[in-house]
Amino acid sequence: MNQWLDERLHLSRLNDKFLRKAFPVHHSFFLGEITLFSLIILILTGILLALAYEPSNSMIVNSFDPGTADKPNLIPAAYHSALKINAMPFGDMLRRIHHWTANIMIAAAVVHMMRIYFTGAFKKPREINWWIGLLLLIFAVFTAVTGYALPYDNYAYNTLKVIYGIVASIPWVGEWVSQAAFAGRFPGEGIIPRVYGYHIMLLPAILIALTGAHLLIMIKQKHTQPQYAKRIAYKKIVGVPLLTQQTPIMLLLALLFAAIIVLFSAFIPVHPVEFFGPPSTTPINNIKPDWYLLWVFGALAIIPSFEFNFLGGVIGSEFTGAMILPTIIVLALFAVPMLDRSRENMYYAENPTNHPVRLAAGIAFLALLIVWSVAGYKPELISANILTTANANTILWIATFLVPALAYFATLGIVRGIRALRESDERDRAAFSHADD
Amino acid sequence: MTRYKRQDPEITRRKFINVAVGTTAAVGGVSLLSTLGTANPVFILTPDKMPPLKGDILVHAGGDTEGQPVRISELSTKLVRAWPMGKDKQGQSVIRKGDPNNLLVVYRFPQGQLVPPTNIQATIEGQTVAYSDICTHAGCSVGDNDQGPGMKCPCHSGQYDPTHGCIVIGGPPPRKLAQLPIAAQGENIVVTDFFLTMPYPYIHESEWEAFKKTVEEQLT
Ligand code: FES
Repeated sequence: MNQWLDERLHLSRLNDKFLRKAFPVHHSFFLGEITLFSLIILILTGILLALAYEPSNSMIVNSFDPGTADKPNLIPAAYHSALKINAMPFGDMLRRIHHWTANIMIAAAVVHMMRIYFTGAFKKPREINWWIGLLLLIFAVFTAVTGYALPYDNYAYNTLKVIYGIVASIPWVGEWVSQAAFAGRFPGEGIIPRVYGYHIMLLPAILIALTGAHLLIMIKQKHTQPQYAKRIAYKKIVGVPLLTQQTPIMLLLALLFAAIIVLFSAFIPVHPVEFFGPPSTTPINNIKPDWYLLWVFGALAIIPSFEFNFLGGVIGSEFTGAMILPTIIVLALFAVPMLDRSRENMYYAENPTNHPVRLAAGIAFLALLIVWSVAGYKPELISANILTTANANTILWIATFLVPALAYFATLGIVRGIRALRESDERDRAAFSHADD
Repeated sequence: MTRYKRQDPEITRRKFINVAVGTTAAVGGVSLLSTLGTANPVFILTPDKMPPLKGDILVHAGGDTEGQPVRISELSTKLVRAWPMGKDKQGQSVIRKGDPNNLLVVYRFPQGQLVPPTNIQATIEGQTVAYSDICTHAGCSVGDNDQGPGMKCPCHSGQYDPTHGCIVIGGPPPRKLAQLPIAAQGENIVVTDFFLTMPYPYIHESEWEAFKKTVEEQLT
């Protein structure tokens, strides 16, 4: 049968080209795989959820608590279907798995990206894949955000309102763009069907296409080789083939990973729709976005209020904080491969400590995002009496500049220390090896 | 490599294909753009989406008393959320909550606490005052401040002082909350005019004025 298939599908070529792709043996190379597994779990659980979900924000009678005939208890159909999913056997679990996996996917993608950055794997010829990877991260975040809008509980409602407001704050075209994006003025009759379309069609299609491109390019260009490969066989690809060595490892990892997610989902609830309740006029106190957007939220919280007219468009703190600032950050990330001017193709993952400036810049960047994320907790910091209403903004602004600067120089110092140690080590070894002769 | 380029009097295949692909892409792009128009549905101003209007009564916006008139005697310095309730063409009562930006907040302060820039004429006896409850920053509904006097927006900690015309006293909001002129009608609160300044989501005075005009036209 093998031969029969081979004559028709050229399996042996596929085998040579793809299935024997060598995987480097190092745990940090699993981060990308975890991201991929998450995407698969998300698609599978997402399909199951879509079968039971009703994408509509029209008001219907709550079948769990119908109210009275003259005062029926009306809730949005989408919210109602979320309640129904929760009432299904393992329905709540399914929602939690979907939600947890989304969080983990973004976390894995971020850590994967950190690995690429710190080992210099974004360098020529892999710039394109760095950019595709960034796009993947950005679209993953969009997908996640549209995802937690779908249950249309009070949390989703408030989130959507803020997103609508942010889009509408674009000078000149904002009103039109946000109405086009969210099917009319907030909350239009079509808002949930629209977001549903984004979440289950448009964005997953983009994610899958980008993932395909990402993987194909990676297979074509091969992984960067870990340092040990240099010693074993210089400029040769070292690693274990996908079939049959890497596959069992992958399967093991996928199962372990799935098990961890299920364990998480069993014990830690996420997005409890009953707790938030249907959309209402009462805001949720201290509502916050998920961790990966907390930095934007924090930046918005400390940016002072201002507004000026520019050629008939209004440029305000909201547009600046929620659009310009993240754009700058994202552009900086896009620019990363351009900062490297080497003409040579890169083969080997670099030791981060051999590139202290890059390492320190990366850590300072992370420190900045962390400071802003902490700023997202401003109200909590104030109620815990760590800061006061009067000084909170000033202190957080000082931290915005001071903490990354400190992180930068501290990293440089530590790296210098490590290298000094390493060099003295080598000197010792040289001295002793002499004695051996 | 050929040394001599063949001089072809007719256009080359490559050129033809390039031009054809370019034209197709351009036409396709433009026609795709035109479908974007369908993304933005027409806005129809129904009575439940109109802003608070002259003659509307304020009703509770949440809790068990939702939909019942707000009584002046039950108000205090704690905020009470309200919707405007008016009549549609058939004379049926309609709560104007089709636009969530119509959400209002009502307070009653002891005599003398309400000071300018609050418009005292637009309050009831200088004590009861109504504002838009929608934060001018990103449109969250503003609540009581759990960390001091006044109001705090739960989204990015914008703070307002309802005794001073709801001016911004902290956080990112760019403008004060719009005050709504009200009068007493027995124990009920009636709206006497449009918001005194432009409410969220307007950022241009002119847009708000234009919107008021459309509403007036539709009413007559
Ligand atoms: S929406 Fe109120 S402070 Fe941002």
